[in-house]
Amino acid sequence: MQFEVIAKCHTTRARVSRMKLAHGVTSLPTFMPVATQAAIKGMKILEEAGGAHQFQGWKHNLLTDSGGFQLVSLNKFTKITEEGALFASPFDGAPTMLTAKESISIQHTIGADIIMQLDDVVSSLTVGPRVAEAMWRTIRWLDRCIETHEKSGKHDVQNLFAIVQGGLDHELRDQCLQEMINRKDRVAGYAIGGLSGGEEKDVFWRIIKQCADKLPEDRPRYSMGIGFAEDLLVCVALGVDMADCVFPTRTARFGVALTFNGPLNLRLAKHASDMGPIDETCPCPTCSDGYSRAFLHHNITIETAAAHAVTQHNLVFQARMMGQARNAIIQGTFPDYLKSFFRNYFGDQGYPEWCINALRSVGVDLLESDPSAKTQTGSGAKWERVDTR
Amino acid sequence: MMSTLSFSLLQSDLAQFAPRRGLLSIRRLDGSPNVDVNTPGFITATTRGLVPHLSRDHVRSTSSIRWTHIAFESFLDRVPPIPLLQSGPHSLHKFLGFRPNQHILSLSLRDPSDQRIMPPNGKDHVSAYCMSGVRKVTPQMWKDFTTACTPDIIVALSDTSLSDTNYSQKRLTKSVERSTAWLAHLLQSDAKSTSDPSSPRCRNILVNMAGGDEPRARASFSENLIEMLQGVEFEQVNPLRTLDEGVSGYIFELLPLRNDIRRDAPPAREEAAISSVIPLLKASLGPLPITKPRIAHSTSSPHEILQLIRDVGIDIFDIHWAQRAADIGIALDFSFPVPETHRQSENNDSQRQPLLDSTGRRDLGHNLFDVKYGNDHSSLASYLDEQSSDSATQHPTCPCAACSPHSPASHITHSSVDQTYLDPTTSTAPQHSYSRAYIHHLLHTHEMSSHSLLAMHNIAVMDAFFSGIRQLLETDLKNKESKFLEEVERFCNVYDDKMSMFRLAKEDWSTVELERGKGRLTREKEKEKEKEKEKEREKEKSATTTA
Ligand SMILES: [Zn+2]
Ligand SMILES: [Zn+2]
Repeated sequence: MQFEVIAKCHTTRARVSRMKLAHGVTSLPTFMPVATQAAIKGMKILEEAGGAHQFQGWKHNLLTDSGGFQLVSLNKFTKITEEGALFASPFDGAPTMLTAKESISIQHTIGADIIMQLDDVVSSLTVGPRVAEAMWRTIRWLDRCIETHEKSGKHDVQNLFAIVQGGLDHELRDQCLQEMINRKDRVAGYAIGGLSGGEEKDVFWRIIKQCADKLPEDRPRYSMGIGFAEDLLVCVALGVDMADCVFPTRTARFGVALTFNGPLNLRLAKHASDMGPIDETCPCPTCSDGYSRAFLHHNITIETAAAHAVTQHNLVFQARMMGQARNAIIQGTFPDYLKSFFRNYFGDQGYPEWCINALRSVGVDLLESDPSAKTQTGSGAKWERVDTR
Repeated sequence: MMSTLSFSLLQSDLAQFAPRRGLLSIRRLDGSPNVDVNTPGFITATTRGLVPHLSRDHVRSTSSIRWTHIAFESFLDRVPPIPLLQSGPHSLHKFLGFRPNQHILSLSLRDPSDQRIMPPNGKDHVSAYCMSGVRKVTPQMWKDFTTACTPDIIVALSDTSLSDTNYSQKRLTKSVERSTAWLAHLLQSDAKSTSDPSSPRCRNILVNMAGGDEPRARASFSENLIEMLQGVEFEQVNPLRTLDEGVSGYIFELLPLRNDIRRDAPPAREEAAISSVIPLLKASLGPLPITKPRIAHSTSSPHEILQLIRDVGIDIFDIHWAQRAADIGIALDFSFPVPETHRQSENNDSQRQPLLDSTGRRDLGHNLFDVKYGNDHSSLASYLDEQSSDSATQHPTCPCAACSPHSPASHITHSSVDQTYLDPTTSTAPQHSYSRAYIHHLLHTHEMSSHSLLAMHNIAVMDAFFSGIRQLLETDLKNKESKFLEEVERFCNVYDDKMSMFRLAKEDWSTVELERGKGRLTREKEKEKEKEKEKEREKEKSATTTA
């Protein structure tokens, strides 16, 4: 991997960089759409097919997760031991062990450009000694992953990322950061893990900030499972370079289109006779073709073709939002971009207080020009209906 | 926007029901290029205005999608129906995302592949179905809708829907009368539209052949069409001398026809054989000119298509069954004439052809849910294989987006630094075919793209099938032979006409849906919908009896 910071925001911690991987150059900060989450039955198929790039006909960069997070979130029978994650095989129910070594060799077979260490994931709501145990185990597993990866001879084409754990405990996070930074020469980048969305937003951003502040300048920083527009831009302002989430594609299937004026629930009757596109200015295939909100309303959540159309739009929305952030950072206007984005996105609904706090911590005051603007507590996502997630 | 439909046959001295080779062409009067459909050929079916599973890009890149049929009824939920809100020329094309220079759009009120039993039609309305229930559509409403939407082809209203009431002789007579009257109404020029260049008379109108399963009633409907009109009836459609002069082609809807046959001949539970349908189609065509296109909706196999071409001279078919095969994970793999490699009468494990069943018939394709495809890295279609064996350089492959995927022609960039990084060499390099194993994987992980890839592939297989039919008919014409008949015979002997693979695929599909956990919810939703429909039907029934 070649990683190079090419511009920095004069006010916030945001930066633009270029990351060159085996399948091309990616400009950061970027949002990465999540493809299938399902495990592939046995690695034999992929081995025969010559890796995931071949199998899916994908010519660009790929990142794979180690499986640790999925095992914990999808399989309630998973048991974590020092050796690895013990789970009942979803295919035949047989007890199966995913070790650090095994996880890395699976990811070698898949052949993604960025691979993740196996980590011991606990819910961000967990308290007590289990959090520390998971953090220290994640560090021990990182060592095993590094060892397997370096021995494989694949470390020149595939890049291993470490995952910072430590729950919502700043002290544990600091210890984890220090241990992982000590291993900097043997890892290509760092992910911030263990923030599952259940935690308070004001705690969430503080952990992100703490990690982003400490992580080395010359390594990409990846925030796992972040996809809401406001979360993404706050993370970018705090110094995060990459993020991924199923949210924009999943929400599309439920009929929610993302726009710079906030999410639209296309199922609502108010769109039924609206002949305009989701967003007049959007270059996505759906909007640029004049696909009307009315026709989307007619078919969304009924026909897969309508889900395809909104999915294409939502992914382009995420890419535009991040692309505009890159431009603003380069042009030195990122604080203004944040202000105008939040103004348009939250409008008269009010700015989420946690976003105001988070951005103030890096020198941007959303309320600067309008101190009396409305604010709101809570997570702050603007939903036309709450049941759309 | 006006367009005219023309149809020409290659053969000059043609027997009434002989197989035919023709060209249907839509010429737009705004000077845009013609859209042609060679016949025998096919119509792409849609659901709620969409080609199932395909994005607009998919539809446009699938060049074999030429004529697409739209059912209007799903839009009756709202008043006015939303396609009417679209302004400008070719408004239906624009609303639905089809291209006037690439696609012919035909519009009927009801979906010809809808299996629902509907409340009976009335003297002045057809019962149509939308999500919020049954809607009554009058001939005048239909005329207004179609005038506003400007499709290329309009299907006249007819009293031919699926119904569970037994047809009495009287009821049949009434149905023929209604269908005739509704066609006449559509052909009449309105006072308001006489000065309008898109007045209904200038439009291309197809008519459903009425008369149920009674040959005499069917013939009498056709006779109504060619009868010289007199008096007021003539005045209303003047300058047309007969209704048939205003009709561009004839439609046969096999679903209601089969329903009639089954209902009138209990206890037959099986679908009526195509052999019992054929005489009824002939009864309709008997009195009519042979030069107009003949269209059949809702055939259920390629075997039936071949028989209707051979025995009735049908020109155009919808391929609903082939498109829907993509829902249940089927990749079609057959061809006409039967390719050499499919003629072998033994299963060979090392080969990629569809399997032979116990009776020695070959499946029409592959049920990709089946675990045996889990590590089959070959491409979907085997029917082209033999042609590639002798020429090592040029391997013909299926042109669909699954077998011959293309990278997008352009990329959207989102910031100033993106542009410089685009590598032109990686973006234009040819891509590999998607493998059976990959689509198997997508099916088992519930990825929507599995159905998109299969739908495009199946449409391409049907395109190749029809192109094989046309080529053979042309060769026969040139050599004064009848190889076509022999090849139809062979096709029916080689490929399974019971479609048993479809049954198995459906079972696998529902098992996977069930595993997903969503299966239960979907079924509950279906049940709820069914209950509501039942209620609607009851309401509708009591409404018609009190009326
Ligand atoms: Zn868009
Ligand atoms: Zn294909």
